[in-house]
Amino acid sequence: MTPRRTYRIAFFALGWLIALGILFQFGFKSVFVKVYAGIADGLSRVQQAVSDAEGRALTRARHTSRSDYLQPLAPTLRSADALRAPTGMLFGAYDGLLPRSFAGFEKFEEGLDFRFPIVSFYVAWGDKPEQQFPARMVETIDRMGSVPMVTWEPWVVDFDTSRRTNLPPRAEREYASLAAIARGEYDFYVVPWAAAAARYGKPMFLRFAHEMNDPYRYPWGPQNGNRPEDFIAAWKHVHQVFQKMSAANVLWVWSPHISMPWFEYYYPGPEWVDWVGFGVLNYGSVATWSRWWSFHQIVEKSYPALLALKKPLVICEFGTLSYGGDILEWYKQAFYHLDHTYGRVQAVVFFNQSQDTTMSAYPLDWSVLAERRATAFVAGELARKSVLER
Amino acid sequence: MPSWSDVSEVFRHRRAKPVETWERWVLGALVFLGLQSVVYLAWWWFRLEHVQDLVLFALLSLATWYGIFRMMVGWYNAFHIEQPAPRPAPEGLSVAIFTTSSPGEPYEMFVRTLAAAREIRYPHTTYLLDDTRDPRFAELAAEMGAVHLELVGLPGAKAGKINAALGATKEDFVLVLDPDHVPLPELLDRVLGHFDDPRIGFVQVSQAYYNAGESFVARGAAEQTFAYYGPILQGMHGTGTAVAVGANCTFRRKALESIGGHGIGLAEDLVTSIRIHAKGWTSVYVPEVVTRGLVPSDLSSYLKQQLKWSRGVHEVLFQEYPHAFRGLTGYQRISYLMIGTYFLGGLTSLIYFAIPLLYLLFGRQPAAMILSEYLLHALPVGLCGIAVYLFLQRWLCDPARERGVHWRGTLLKIGAFSVYLEGLVLAVLGVAVPYIPTAKERRAARFWPLARLPLLVIALSAAATLWTAYRRLFVVPEPEVRISTEVTLGMLGFLVLNSIFMGARLYAAWQDRVRRTR
Repeated sequence: MTPRRTYRIAFFALGWLIALGILFQFGFKSVFVKVYAGIADGLSRVQQAVSDAEGRALTRARHTSRSDYLQPLAPTLRSADALRAPTGMLFGAYDGLLPRSFAGFEKFEEGLDFRFPIVSFYVAWGDKPEQQFPARMVETIDRMGSVPMVTWEPWVVDFDTSRRTNLPPRAEREYASLAAIARGEYDFYVVPWAAAAARYGKPMFLRFAHEMNDPYRYPWGPQNGNRPEDFIAAWKHVHQVFQKMSAANVLWVWSPHISMPWFEYYYPGPEWVDWVGFGVLNYGSVATWSRWWSFHQIVEKSYPALLALKKPLVICEFGTLSYGGDILEWYKQAFYHLDHTYGRVQAVVFFNQSQDTTMSAYPLDWSVLAERRATAFVAGELARKSVLER
Repeated sequence: MPSWSDVSEVFRHRRAKPVETWERWVLGALVFLGLQSVVYLAWWWFRLEHVQDLVLFALLSLATWYGIFRMMVGWYNAFHIEQPAPRPAPEGLSVAIFTTSSPGEPYEMFVRTLAAAREIRYPHTTYLLDDTRDPRFAELAAEMGAVHLELVGLPGAKAGKINAALGATKEDFVLVLDPDHVPLPELLDRVLGHFDDPRIGFVQVSQAYYNAGESFVARGAAEQTFAYYGPILQGMHGTGTAVAVGANCTFRRKALESIGGHGIGLAEDLVTSIRIHAKGWTSVYVPEVVTRGLVPSDLSSYLKQQLKWSRGVHEVLFQEYPHAFRGLTGYQRISYLMIGTYFLGGLTSLIYFAIPLLYLLFGRQPAAMILSEYLLHALPVGLCGIAVYLFLQRWLCDPARERGVHWRGTLLKIGAFSVYLEGLVLAVLGVAVPYIPTAKERRAARFWPLARLPLLVIALSAAATLWTAYRRLFVVPEPEVRISTEVTLGMLGFLVLNSIFMGARLYAAWQDRVRRTR
């Protein structure tokens, strides 16, 4: 190859680089994005159709489906309006392997000999595929006969800096992020999510920016310059986007941390909230800041304030560790008080996370299955309190 | 539809069409888009959260990116596509044509080849390098005006005979003509002109076949060579890496002497070629059909040929390449590495065959990728690859007969992965494979020995499919079934693909089976 030829090739490449770069920026990119969105949409529809076909074959082969168990509850679970004014008690569960696999969830249900009407899992904000609307997951939960509860966490740092050039740099993004959400700076994410939720169309619980009043936990807490009015503005803005996208199937779960003071100041107002949720997790003696709290001790102080909101209450994360007390006793007390003291609690979602590493260096086991007697007791309570036939 | 049976059409001198400037621009654009799409895929592929099973993910990545890397080198090569300007052959050069005969090769083939060699227009001397001990061959040589050299009992098979003949002759240029190749009268006229540059060590012409229509295997095996003797070698010519491919290469005697004679080994052509390049000689590829020969037309011969090549090429990679490395130019180093690692494809095929089985039988999933995500990210790479491949077909030597998607060649190539693997293992262990010339006529073979492996793979795939269907219909909990439809479907798809590859091999074996005659 002569030197002249080498130069020619180099110029050639450079020329193309510039020409195609310009072409890409002006037009081609948007066409590309549109075409791809179309293909992705078609693909997901095909996948759902195939999955449903497989599900039908399975139902025929086994002469039964999980949804058959939940059939008696269908009038409630299939209607958003019915779920806004529940009459009985609904149980639910989150499992640590979700949304990747149902294996742990299945084991949990087997262990308790129960089928949970609510399936709870977590979705963080961001650009990754698993951070988009979990269509496959909620459709699957629907086919299982249950209602999904999505805890929707605004981790704004997860957005890709190179793709979202209008966002502030990662390090600055977390400060006052709720105000930014309220201003609509994250609508590029919220709008398609809401549209997808509307497309889903069936009832789903959405627990947005939970424990917003806890300054020690999540970036959307008050430690990052997020004032109560910012939270309320963000909540209203997101809610309005869903309304605009006609996602009336979404049930809004406002879920503060009830052990932290002043949570009432974060309440957006009755017309913006369907359910009021809170977590009841007893860490026992696992950390310096915790000690063994009974269910009653955790709830009693805040209950009047929650009650005053006149909304159905849901315990979104329900469980205890084994350090420093007796699990069986804890659950016995809890179910006693659910029966006698806290009548407005109309849904309890078990926190079946056996490998929780969010608070400690070693994994914590929240599962009821960790203790045999507790398992048997809870199974009995579920059978007793549920309208479902065995 | 141009046919393979019209002899006057098949045996016609043809040349690849010249490269025009606009075509190079289009090629540049396609390659550029291709590189973009590779970056797009890589950016997505190597995300930490995709790693599910570290070992399997590493293996899958290795297999996938080895293939993509080869494709990119191919694009680079294609972008440098270049054809030598035709040069008239000067008068008065002394030229020898060597053709070799071994015991068992059909006599009629030599009648045809020697008669055609006699008709080559440029003055030359034909030598028949013979170790058949068959008196008919000496008579035939005399009749055809060729010199008969009785070369019996030499080590090194064909190359050994060539070296002995080099010692017995004086011509400045030596054309090694495979005995199954029928040369056209133009052959030497199209080649010799290029030797006016004293640095040129050898000139290679296209290797084309006349029996590609004979069977599924023949067609597939021929399809595997079309692109190589078309755009690929023209690109290699452009980057100064055109290799000698065994048949129909014309050497300058001095070049052969500078490396102590023709190389010996299962891939003797490649050995010779790399040594000559390492000595600083350059080479020319003439993209013209000036001979037509035979391609293996039955499965057994094809697999033997592939085993021979795989074993030989790995030998070159392990033994010749390190020695030659210092003498090669930068791009020659890459190019010979690419040739030397071609048959590692057997290893990547093994990985592709194993992964769906590992998932469906043992639940081990290499990557936590969403199927639709994968399809969307791999699509541009696939489309660009196909676009470049099809665009490059403009420079096939005989486009009318050679154009197409070459699905038979692909099926046959991947179906033969076990043989590539065997060649690799034999080369690593240093086990010799006897040098046998590739069979020159179609042979019938017993069905079962050839069908064993494909049947095993297909049976295993069918069993895994049934097992999966049973488990998903009756055993696996419903939610898990519903959420894992895609990955299971993807793996089953791979399994079906693997069965198709093996099915092609099975079909070829079926075509060759010994028919019971009454």
